[in-house]
Amino acid sequence: MRILIAEDDGDTAEFIRRGLTELGHNVFVAGNGLDALHMLLQSDIDLAILDRMLPELDGLSVVRRIRAATVETPVLLLTALGRIQDRVDGLDAGADDYLVKPFAFSELAARVNALVRRKPLQPTLSSFEHRGISVDLLKRDVHRDGIPVQLQPREFRILEELMREGGKVVTRTMLLERVWNYHFDPQTNIVDTHISRLRAKLNEGGKPDAIETVRGAGYRMADDA
Amino acid sequence: MRNWRRSAAYRIAFINFGALAIGLALLGAATFAMMHASLTRQLNSMVSDEAATLAAEYHSGGNGELGEAIAKRQSSESATRMLYAVFTPDGHRIYGSFPSQRPAALGGQEVEFTNPLEGPDTARATAIDLSPTERLVVAVDSDWIERVEQAVLIEFGVAFLGACMLGLAGAIILGGYLERRLRSISRSAEAIIRGDIRERMPLSGRRDEFDQLALTLNRMLDRVEGLLENLRQVSSDVAHDLRTPLSKLRTLLEKGLLEGRAADDLLEDAIRRVDEVLSLFAAILRIAEVESGETRRFFAPVDLSPLVADLAESFALSFEDEGRTLLWSLEDGIRIKGDRELLAQAFINLLENAQRHTPSGSVIRLTLTMVGDTVCLQVLDNGPGVPTADLGRVTKRFARMGSARNTQGYGLGLSLVSAVAKLHGGSLVLRDAEPGLSATIELPRTSACVSHSQATTKEPAE
Repeated sequence: MRILIAEDDGDTAEFIRRGLTELGHNVFVAGNGLDALHMLLQSDIDLAILDRMLPELDGLSVVRRIRAATVETPVLLLTALGRIQDRVDGLDAGADDYLVKPFAFSELAARVNALVRRKPLQPTLSSFEHRGISVDLLKRDVHRDGIPVQLQPREFRILEELMREGGKVVTRTMLLERVWNYHFDPQTNIVDTHISRLRAKLNEGGKPDAIETVRGAGYRMADDA
Repeated sequence: MRNWRRSAAYRIAFINFGALAIGLALLGAATFAMMHASLTRQLNSMVSDEAATLAAEYHSGGNGELGEAIAKRQSSESATRMLYAVFTPDGHRIYGSFPSQRPAALGGQEVEFTNPLEGPDTARATAIDLSPTERLVVAVDSDWIERVEQAVLIEFGVAFLGACMLGLAGAIILGGYLERRLRSISRSAEAIIRGDIRERMPLSGRRDEFDQLALTLNRMLDRVEGLLENLRQVSSDVAHDLRTPLSKLRTLLEKGLLEGRAADDLLEDAIRRVDEVLSLFAAILRIAEVESGETRRFFAPVDLSPLVADLAESFALSFEDEGRTLLWSLEDGIRIKGDRELLAQAFINLLENAQRHTPSGSVIRLTLTMVGDTVCLQVLDNGPGVPTADLGRVTKRFARMGSARNTQGYGLGLSLVSAVAKLHGGSLVLRDAEPGLSATIELPRTSACVSHSQATTKEPAE
């Protein structure tokens, strides 16, 4: 995956570059907005991570310009500003996701994965299958090894998100955004509570754990379930 | 009075005075013109009446009677002495002593004559023909009008001057008064600028516009002073509260080093502590953002009932896990205009607060109701509550009551709730529920919101 990082702070850029390279991505770094714009318009980039405040041309303007030029590359905006209006502005400008600094690398990695998966317009799946667990979005039912599992609507939504990412990590923040539609950290344990309920229902009868907790990052469907 | 030209007070006073003077002068001129016209008319009718009377005498008694009448009238002394003459067509005077030429025209006119005392003069005159050979002229010296008018002019002038002096004096006094009142306000403002924030605008006790202004300014100053005090308090609290987690972090790192803890493990621990500090900052910034009111522009209709129901369901589990019971009763169809996320955050904070400060086994009740035009979201617990004396303090930033000092959190939860309620035009009301605490968010269902909700939904009209 060819990923562009536009970030004027060298340390942060290097930190992200190294992390993403380790995950097997091909990473390019631009130190200012104009270079980033140039690369996005001229090279074949699969995903852009833009800092909001960049020399020459700020991140918001870069997004606006590439969208005006009908470049549909997914964009993740990074910002030191966590204000409500900043997020709204960022998404209005055409960014696909928004992450407030400082962030954990695992959070960034999970979001990059999610954005990349979204890219080759997935045929809208109506059912998911993962290691013996099947989720049917139309019938809204869940089976594990052919045995139906009864879930609350919220638990169902969480499972849906985990299944959608197919074994990749989904962070607590992502779950709050997607399942609860909260774009703030409520500083509560509702996600954990729901995950533990969901886990208990899925694992009923002494089955191996279906959901893996990735420490400091989030949750994913267990591979060896 | 240093610079009259640049003083609005004096300008206003002088403009006022100028308008008064111009008005008086116009009034005087109009009166004068009317008086002049009236006097002239009066004089004209006097001479024409007199001419008619003499003509009647002539027709009844002939020439002799006329001559006698004229002679008699000429000898009488009166303020408005008339002048008489009867002329033949060739200009020869038959009777009378009016020292003028025979007037060529008939009717009322100005006639020139020679005043024996003052020389050439004019008079108002009427000429009528008594017979083809006799033309009667009756005249009055116009001097009389001039004298009357002159007297009136002098009197008016004196009165006008007097009025102007009074007006000018009034303008100076008024200007000075206005300037003094304004200057006293300005002096207080200067004192405040110099740093004496306790200074207030002086009141005259007259309850006039200046007092109203001063009262408003004083209220503003009270508010500013309160905010400043709050700011001072908060910055020292922030500094103080930051030291605690940072010194804990320091201890952790130092101990880790000494004990030779594995770097990975130690760093992970340290990152968690740093994240705590960062989330403290995020919370402080969030409250500041909410208090600034900037987010009002994202207000949109929010369906509170499903939002709260959703929260209640989400939280019931975690309440249950920790041995507490959450019961809820929510009225349907409640919708206000606001920020969905902030409202959710405020409700979550209230629930978290109840969870955090009640012992296991407590029952927490959540209700959402409409009371009149007010939306009330109440979280009621049967825990230890908050002493009535401290109720007002807990919504302040960093306020943690004695028993809560050692529980987690930075005492920012309720101040965010309070800020969110205020942002929506409402308030957070805390009451002692004996036992327990009742925390209610009261939000007005604003008119803007009502019209909006009627426009977008099919709610029955009330």
